Amino acid sequence: MNGHDWSLRVRDLVKVFNQKVRANDGISLTVEPGEVYGLLGPNGAGKSTLVKQLIGLLAPDAGTITLGPHDLVADPDAARQLCSYLPQAQMPIASLRAREAIDITGRIRGGDAGAVIRRREELIDALDIGEWRDTLGARLSGGVRRLVGFAMVAACPGRVVVLDEPTNDVDPLRRRLLWQEVRRLGDAGVSVLLVTHNVMEAEKAVDRLAVVDRGRLLAEGTPSSLKAEDRGRLRLQVMLAPRADTPVLPGFVEHHTRVGHNLMTVLPEAEAAHAIGWAQELIGLGLAEEYALGATTLEDVYIRLTGDVDAESPEEPV
Amino acid sequence: MTTLAPPTADLRRGVAYWWHSYRMMLRWQLVSLRLVLPVTVMVQVLTGAGFVLALGLFFGQVPPRAALFISTGVLVLTLVTIGLVLGPQLIAQQKAEQTYDFLWSLPVPRTTAALAWVTTNLVLGVPGMAVALAVALWRYDLDLHVSPAIVPAVLLTLFTGTMIGYALAHALDNPMLIGAITQLTIFLILGFSPINFPADQLPGWLAALHPWLPLAPMADTVRAALTQGVVEDVTRSYLVLGAWAAASVAATALILARRR
Repeated sequence: MNGHDWSLRVRDLVKVFNQKVRANDGISLTVEPGEVYGLLGPNGAGKSTLVKQLIGLLAPDAGTITLGPHDLVADPDAARQLCSYLPQAQMPIASLRAREAIDITGRIRGGDAGAVIRRREELIDALDIGEWRDTLGARLSGGVRRLVGFAMVAACPGRVVVLDEPTNDVDPLRRRLLWQEVRRLGDAGVSVLLVTHNVMEAEKAVDRLAVVDRGRLLAEGTPSSLKAEDRGRLRLQVMLAPRADTPVLPGFVEHHTRVGHNLMTVLPEAEAAHAIGWAQELIGLGLAEEYALGATTLEDVYIRLTGDVDAESPEEPV
Repeated sequence: MTTLAPPTADLRRGVAYWWHSYRMMLRWQLVSLRLVLPVTVMVQVLTGAGFVLALGLFFGQVPPRAALFISTGVLVLTLVTIGLVLGPQLIAQQKAEQTYDFLWSLPVPRTTAALAWVTTNLVLGVPGMAVALAVALWRYDLDLHVSPAIVPAVLLTLFTGTMIGYALAHALDNPMLIGAITQLTIFLILGFSPINFPADQLPGWLAALHPWLPLAPMADTVRAALTQGVVEDVTRSYLVLGAWAAASVAATALILARRR
């Protein structure tokens, strides 16, 4: 493509706040053109800090970010032209009609008028938000406003699209439509960097992902490669009865987490029959209400790596 | 079949890119203010007219020289309050609502966003200024001599006020602090600046300081363009105001180019 390799390359990125908080502590990653790349991690992991350096809002203390032939650290103007950004906060479009917001952003991003209008209509149809085409942003629900925000950044996306929690507040049906459009961005050669702590959703949407915590990259790979270490294991999920204490765990349980009444355990495949027996016994004793036994998920990997059970930890410094 | 064009390799640079970005940012800002624009213009008109009438109440029978100072001063007040108050308030709001980062991730030259904001302020400020002048003429039967210098005087005043407010609001991270400084600025402008009264009515040290601050030169240039024999040395005022304009542009450029 244009004679260049348009990979996004981040190398040894370091960002320190107030001379002590190492928000990014030597992060390296590569996102290929057309790839949907997930950046997973709890709040405060350093994801937003990484993204803001990418789009030229923060300057790194050390390390490099390049996109094709461009050095994005030295040339933040190039960073803004080549990367479009959907922030986690809502878009400032209270006074704009949905179609205007998409059109103006598309034009600002360099699309010509006719092409932007055609692309806007395509996105409005694809995301099924046609009934709000002429509605002011202030009157849109959070989810529709989010979808309009996605259409704003996807209208004329550049080389890299950064999506920070794009499905927040979006209903389940339109979430699917949104993921389809994300995939189409990839098919058109755009690299998509998806920032999220919604592990279950990311597992289905991304080609590859990195798990980040405390400014460091803990693991990187495809969802299956990251789950490979858990091969031969199963997850047993037990819904405990209200007010029940965590029961004494059998020896075959390798690790467990509890969120509310939900007890999640990981165990070797060979112990499946014993695990079912144990869960049925808990139900029989009135300590649990139901259980489910299944393959381990990316969430189990994520929890093992970050120790984060509910993704509600303190806010990031920036 | 997608209508999404394949991403290009070339970056946009140059005059055409700048002009396109300026027009788009102006459109974005005017449309963004759509819900508050009529109210804001109305408030500007009412405060301008209100100031002219209210300041006259201090006197009962207004002396002609006071009427001249009030009427010409109110024009400057309507111009600088937009730039020094409304602009910082909007930026503080963007910072509080966390929409600031998105706006500054847009691929436009920083100067276009700043100049589009000056243009928006012109749209917001000129109606109020015109009405204030009309009310003053009606109320005080003024002896005005309007010269073509009114155009550069108004533009330079509006530009400098807008850029100072803009630089200040971008420099400060805390929206509450921006709000507090804005309030203080208004208080100082209204109470302690020789805009609506001659500088010799101020304490000596403050009267000596004002020729070096932007407000008195703003009032002088606008007043000189509307009157005869009231302002003595307007060249000096243009020079000081020009220096403030240049300094505020330099400060804005530095602050906007800054990455934390």
